[in-house]
Amino acid sequence: MNKYRFPIIAAGALAVLISAPAALAADVTDIGYVDQEALSSLPSFASANRQLSDFGQGLQRQFTARAKGASQDQQQKLQQQFQSEMQQKQQQIFGPLFAKAQVAIASVASSKNLSVVIDKRIVVAGGVDITSNVRDLLTSPSDPVPPVATPPPSTVGYVDQGAIDNVPKIKAAEQEFATFRNNEDKTASDKMKSAKTESDRDAILKDYRKTLDDEGTKVVKPVLDQTRGAIADIAKKKGLSLVLDRSMIIFGGVDITSDVTGSIK
Amino acid sequence: MALWALAACAKTVAPGTAPSAAGPIGYLRMDDVIKHHPLYPQLAQYDQNIDALTLGGTVPHALAGADVKKQQALIAKELQDAANRTKALLDQKQKQYQDREAQAIQQALKASGVSAPGAGTVASQVTQTAGVQSADASRAAQRDFAAYQHSLAAQNENELNAMQRTIADKANRTYRAKQDELQAKEAALTLDLANKDAAERLALKTKLSSLALDDAARQDARTRLDALDRSEADQVGAMKNRDSQTLATLQTKLRAQVQADMKAQAAAINARALAKLQSRESDLRREFAAPAMSSASTGGGGAASAGVQNLPPALRDRIAHLHADYQKQFTADAQATIDDFQKTRLDLSRRYAALGGADAAAGSDAHDQIANLQHKRDELYDQMVEQIKREATTLAHQRGLAVVVSNPVAEIRGVDLTADVAKDVETLHE
Repeated sequence: MNKYRFPIIAAGALAVLISAPAALAADVTDIGYVDQEALSSLPSFASANRQLSDFGQGLQRQFTARAKGASQDQQQKLQQQFQSEMQQKQQQIFGPLFAKAQVAIASVASSKNLSVVIDKRIVVAGGVDITSNVRDLLTSPSDPVPPVATPPPSTVGYVDQGAIDNVPKIKAAEQEFATFRNNEDKTASDKMKSAKTESDRDAILKDYRKTLDDEGTKVVKPVLDQTRGAIADIAKKKGLSLVLDRSMIIFGGVDITSDVTGSIK
Repeated sequence: MALWALAACAKTVAPGTAPSAAGPIGYLRMDDVIKHHPLYPQLAQYDQNIDALTLGGTVPHALAGADVKKQQALIAKELQDAANRTKALLDQKQKQYQDREAQAIQQALKASGVSAPGAGTVASQVTQTAGVQSADASRAAQRDFAAYQHSLAAQNENELNAMQRTIADKANRTYRAKQDELQAKEAALTLDLANKDAAERLALKTKLSSLALDDAARQDARTRLDALDRSEADQVGAMKNRDSQTLATLQTKLRAQVQADMKAQAAAINARALAKLQSRESDLRREFAAPAMSSASTGGGGAASAGVQNLPPALRDRIAHLHADYQKQFTADAQATIDDFQKTRLDLSRRYAALGGADAAAGSDAHDQIANLQHKRDELYDQMVEQIKREATTLAHQRGLAVVVSNPVAEIRGVDLTADVAKDVETLHE
């Protein structure tokens, strides 16, 4: 059902294409990773999470009370206002912690001569695990010291999928497909309700999936192909070995987002 | 950047040990590899079942919430139609009996020599007074009853929803607790076996990757590796089978319990609501019926007393007698019509109550099934990814890769392990 949803494309769909030959693979020793889940269980982060959760619950109560009897328009405005308050609070609570964590990660990366630190979730094998070093720095009484040297040039690039999704032609394709999918969901749902047998239901599901696949190929694939082509071209020009999604990069790396959005506009 | 995700609770799988301190970057496209895993058909089946449930093909013959509401609206309309028909019939009967009574009074007056207009006035006073009072009372009672019915239905629905949530939550908690307990045991066994066999497995794989190995030794190593795989898979598989059976039994038991609890609770809630409704209805009926009867019966001697008082006593008695007779006949006839309506109302009320129970049970059942399937699907996916990562780690070690990542947005110069890992994964447990 989620197929061809652009936010998901970030990690998955874009990776399906661009199969450049794996020739000339250069040796690397400078890719580290951090287990963010392990860091999030540190007392300081756990306490911050609790604070934010309490604040969120308070806001929810306020919203419920104030939304009673309010018009739909007023409720929408209230929701926006509370979301903004929530974001500010998150920034206020987590901002200093993240800043400290960034310094700690940069410091460890520098001491280990790492050019990029990525999220553990995408590491299948190898890499340098710096989680415990970062944890030690974050739990020590003194603040971590920022590294003097800038990170060495990396062969790992990254793109901000959110920014790419906002390129008008991609956004339009996304919306077109979303509208199509909503209609198909409704049609298939109606058919499923009147289906009499299991084989009827299987046939409806098969047809539903095929229809979505066909529409995805027609509407979404062309813009994806163009995007992938642009990313690959730019990465080659910049001498990068591979490009990851921004959400997986914790430190370092080469941001090629603006080059990509500029080339596919 | 990604540190903002620290606040979120992300599931991670431990990457393999560093195969090489320095070497090329490798990558694999997990979405492609997963399709080659022997358990992929099972994963796809989960996806299909989830789609089927989400799209509303939920449980055959079970009514979805919207359908139940539609059915309830139909029943409510049937009830209203039946009430309207009954009211129209009663009005018609009342008019017939009043006309017949008026004719009989007129004939009695004629027979006793009283002038016809006087007799008509007496009869019409009787019928008009009764008619107006009865209609006013009926309208007021119907308005009051409709408002009460509406508020009771809302209250009933809230009560049913709260009950449904409570029972479903309780069953979910029981199921999840058992599932967590069994899963923890399975994970512990998997880990124990993997730890126990890790050294031997790595040695065998390293041996197999050696080009200098003769055929016999290669065959031997392969056989031992296969035996290890089988042994691990058999032990974990046996435990999983036992656990699946335990969970399936528990789920069946819980589902039956949930259905029974919901049915019983829904029946109790609906019975309470119906009792309240019936009580209010019979109160109103009493209030409504009493003035109608008294208006009609006293009509001969009360409302029309001015006209009737001027008549001779024998004629007055005759008129009163006639009035009582027709009133009795009308009451008996009307009662039969009302009894018919009561039967229809009871039948419709029972259907309404049954629908309420079906709604609660069907809705909860579908929701539970989706959550349960999604959980199983995620669990299976994680296990498959874990296995793929193990295979990828071995390959990375053999090829001297420094690091292997999954699902890059674009790969330019790395080593693509997708096809090789997919091939290794395909032959798992063959």
